[in-house]
Amino acid sequence: MTRRQDLLADLGTLRALFVCAVRASFAYKPALLMSVLSAGFSYAIPMLVWRHIYQANQQGQAIPARALFPYLLIAGCLNFAFAMNVEGRIGQRIRMGLIATDLLRPIDFQMAQLAQALSDGLFNLILVLPIFGVTLLFWRSSALPRDAAALLAFCPSLVLSFVILFAVSFIFVQASFVTYSGYGITAARNALQLTFSGLSAPLVLFPPALRAVSQWLPFRHTIHTPVSVYLGWIRGVELWAALGEQLAWAVGLLLLGRFMLARALRRFEIQGG
Amino acid sequence: MSTFENVYLAAFKASLQAKLEYKVDLVVGVVTAVLLQAASISFLWIVLRNTPALAGWNGREIVFLFGMTAACLGASEVLFNQVWLLPQYIVAGDLDRLLTYPVRSLWFFLLTRPELHAFGNLLTGAVCIVSSMWWLHPPWFVWLGLPVWWVCGTLIYTAVLVVSASLSFRYVGPFAQQMMIAHNLLQASRYPLAIYPNWLKALLLLLVPFGTFHYLPGRVLFGKTAALWGLGAAPLATVITLFIAHWAWNAGLRHYESSGS
Repeated sequence: MTRRQDLLADLGTLRALFVCAVRASFAYKPALLMSVLSAGFSYAIPMLVWRHIYQANQQGQAIPARALFPYLLIAGCLNFAFAMNVEGRIGQRIRMGLIATDLLRPIDFQMAQLAQALSDGLFNLILVLPIFGVTLLFWRSSALPRDAAALLAFCPSLVLSFVILFAVSFIFVQASFVTYSGYGITAARNALQLTFSGLSAPLVLFPPALRAVSQWLPFRHTIHTPVSVYLGWIRGVELWAALGEQLAWAVGLLLLGRFMLARALRRFEIQGG
Repeated sequence: MSTFENVYLAAFKASLQAKLEYKVDLVVGVVTAVLLQAASISFLWIVLRNTPALAGWNGREIVFLFGMTAACLGASEVLFNQVWLLPQYIVAGDLDRLLTYPVRSLWFFLLTRPELHAFGNLLTGAVCIVSSMWWLHPPWFVWLGLPVWWVCGTLIYTAVLVVSASLSFRYVGPFAQQMMIAHNLLQASRYPLAIYPNWLKALLLLLVPFGTFHYLPGRVLFGKTAALWGLGAAPLATVITLFIAHWAWNAGLRHYESSGS
């Protein structure tokens, strides 16, 4: 087979994995409803806290309400869409030794997991569309991209933010080689994501110390950067710099994940027979 | 202690000892639970940078609510965490074995899977509560009330989880999202309920009474109301929610069908 045929075959396999994962996600409909309700509650809490603050004191806030609330809603929608089950899925395969058969398959393990994570993302994106519709009803043009350029820049930013979050999760899940429970891995990544991504507030509202730490971590590029691009808060040279940083984080973290997996597999033992 | 009670204690101890064998998990779990609590506190930090108080509650008073919530969450996880796995047990038909034991199925089921990260939540909760009390200098009797509200909060939260988990008997599927709603409501109660719209306030005080074990007592302790009934609302809410949880569990068991082959 030529290299082109090989590539097409690989892409076909990834597509099949993607479709299977989407179908599996739609299998349990009551769970879907509950998961949307549950996410709705969790995103409503910070919004209600901010609503109270802005009702009590509209003046003197660093960001006007018409900018803050669309930001929070879109950040919530994005975070929901990014809820990929990477830690659960890969962690289980590592703990049960099933990764051995995964590695025998003629497809790159990390890319196969990324394809499945993309299916999670697409599935969640569909679920989150009604919530985004409500956002538009409330905030109208404030919840739309600032202009066509912002929308255009948002597309690569969105993809890169997804890849960054996947790559971070892929790195964290390597801890499954030494732990029995998967909780700690998911929770640790989640805690950092909650704190530093800008999910509950734009970074400009952060205390200086917290903002300084967030500048050195990849998490702000998973929520704050894409939402800022979407709303047109980042433009011109800053926009290109932000996209460049996202790309560098995405590539760097993916490579680091591959390196760590290769190292971990060297001393990994599976009971067999 | 009767032999009957010993069975529960022995089962819990055996499960805890088994879990404690995984030392790395213990450390990772505790650290990450503390990290998760720190993530919530960081949001409070951001909020308090933009406003000095929420509905008249200052940062120190809100830390009390955070502490009570974390401590009740931790106690529920260390003692009754298995409730989170009920949907999977139902799908796999694994309740069959439990139902043949000469024990009260609900309590035995709840007690036999302690979770190690709970210690991180307990630790954070204790630190928050003690710090808050240290700053606020409440009257001495508050120190006596704290354990009562803590126990009540733990039982109320667990009872609400049991009710939501029991839905899985009717709507069979290996998902626990309905319990995440209860969990998120508990997280909502970390802020003074006065900031929420009336429907959410009513929900958190009457239907899912998480506000009774810290918000209502807090209002009395921090001088926001003279109505003393807030101090005793938690025990009443505990009795009612436990009763409903028992009813929901028994009603659910009547719908239980083994997956047998």
